[in-house]
Amino acid sequence: MEFLGYTRPDGQVGARNIVAIIPTVGCVNAVALNIEKLIKGTRAFTHHQGCLHPPQDTETVTRTLINLGKNPNVAAVLVVGLGCEMVDFDRIVEGIKESGKPVQAVKVHDLGGMLETINKGAQLAADMVLEASKLRRTKQGLDKLRFCTKCGSSDTTSGLSSNLVVGEVCRLMTENGGTFVQGEVCDIMGGEYALKNLCVDPAEGDKIINFVKDLYDRGTAVGADVRGSQMTSGNVAGGLTTLIEKAMGANAKGQKVPIQSALEYGSRPMCAGRHIMATPGHGFENLTGGAASGAQLILFTTGRGAPNGHPCIPTVKLCGNSKTNVTMQSHIDVDVASVIEETETVEQAGKRLYEFAVAVASGTLTKAEILNFDGHMEILIKGPVM
Amino acid sequence: MKKYAKQIVEKDNVATCVADINAGDEVYVKIDGQERAYKANAVIPFGHKIAVKAIKTGEFLYKYGEAIGKATQDIAIGDWVHTHNVVDHYEVV
Repeated sequence: MEFLGYTRPDGQVGARNIVAIIPTVGCVNAVALNIEKLIKGTRAFTHHQGCLHPPQDTETVTRTLINLGKNPNVAAVLVVGLGCEMVDFDRIVEGIKESGKPVQAVKVHDLGGMLETINKGAQLAADMVLEASKLRRTKQGLDKLRFCTKCGSSDTTSGLSSNLVVGEVCRLMTENGGTFVQGEVCDIMGGEYALKNLCVDPAEGDKIINFVKDLYDRGTAVGADVRGSQMTSGNVAGGLTTLIEKAMGANAKGQKVPIQSALEYGSRPMCAGRHIMATPGHGFENLTGGAASGAQLILFTTGRGAPNGHPCIPTVKLCGNSKTNVTMQSHIDVDVASVIEETETVEQAGKRLYEFAVAVASGTLTKAEILNFDGHMEILIKGPVM
Repeated sequence: MKKYAKQIVEKDNVATCVADINAGDEVYVKIDGQERAYKANAVIPFGHKIAVKAIKTGEFLYKYGEAIGKATQDIAIGDWVHTHNVVDHYEVV
C-alpha cells in the first residue's frame, strides 16, 4: 500500500495543499477570516490567544503556531500580526520558514488598519495559492504518515469497538514506520502507569505521570477534584465502574504499542512510532495539538456523534454505535459497529480503517470537510488569563 | 437473537454486555475465535459487565488485560460486576 501526497521542502508529505493564514494573536482574526473568504484555497487558523499570558503560555502558543505552519498539509503560510502582541511575531515567521515553504507576513499596525492589511494579505495569499496549485501528488511510502487520535462524545461502544480499531491502526502504521500521536491527559488519568510501562525510556514514562499530576494539581488549585469530573454519574450509569476502566478504554487507541516519547503540547515527535502528547480532552485545543505534531489527519472515535473537524487536518470519524451510525450518518466516515455485533474482528476493522485513512491522506474527503464543519480551533493555555 | 458480551483479551475476568440481559439469560462471548456461553445470575444492563471467571474478595478485575478495580466481595461466574462489588484502587501520586 502507498499513498499520494504533496512533498514539502523539508521532506514531510502533505495530505492537503492549503495556504494557511495564521493570526499571531486573536485580535486580528477578522483580518484572517476576510482573506479566507476572498481567496480560494486558503484556511484561516483563528484562535483567541497570543497576548496577556504568563511566559509559559506565551511559549506554548508560539511553539504551536510555528508547528501548525510547519504541518505538511500546509503548502504556504501568510502570518497576520497586530503589532503589539505578546508573542514574538518575527520568531513565528522565522520558525515557520525553517520548513523551507513560502511564508509571507503582514502586520496591521504597519499597514495602517484592517482594510489595508486585508488588501495586501489577500494579494500575497493569491500569489501563494497559484504557486501551491502547481504542486502535484506523488506516490509516497506509508512511513511518511503521521496520525493523531482523539475520542469525543464517547459512549460504551468507544472502549469496545472504535478505540480498539484505532489501536489496531496504531499497531499497523507503526510497524510500517509511521508515527502515531495520542493524548488527552484527562482520559489517561487512571491509566498513566499502564502507559508508563509501555515507554521505551523510563524518563518518558515519568513525564506521562507528571502530565496527569499537573492536571490534578491544576484542578486542586481551583478547588476541584478532576477525578470526579472525569468519572461522571453518566459513566457509572452506562456501566463504567472505575476511573481506571475508563482510562484503559481510552488508552486502547494505542493498544500495547511501545511509546517512544512524551511530548509537550504542540511539539513535534523526534522519531517514528507511538507518542503521548499532553493535550486536553477538549476538542478545539486537542486537535490543534495533534495538527502541530505534524500529523496529516486525525482518527476521531465517537459514540454519540461528535461532528467537528479542524482547519489544518482532516478528521476521520469512526463510530461503534449502530444507532449513531444511522442518526449521525452525515458525520460518520467509518462504521465499526460490526466489532460489537461480532461480524468483524478488531483486526479486520483496523485494516479497513487503515485503508480508508490512507485514502483520505491521498485526497478522499472526510464528512467534516465536505460539510465545512471544520472552521474552528483553539490553542491550549493553562492560565491565568490576565 | 443471541445476546453477546465483549471480552477484550483472554486474561480478562469480566466481559461487557452489548445487550440488556435478564437473570437466567445465556450470554455469549467470542474470544480468540471461540464462543462460550455464561448464564447471567442477575439483570445486567447494556454496557455493564458480567463475570466470566470467579473473582475472590480483594482480587483484581481485569479488562483490556489490565487491573481496573478490586473485588469487595466474592464474585461468581455470571454475576453482575459494578460499583456494588468493586472498588477503584487508583490514586494520584
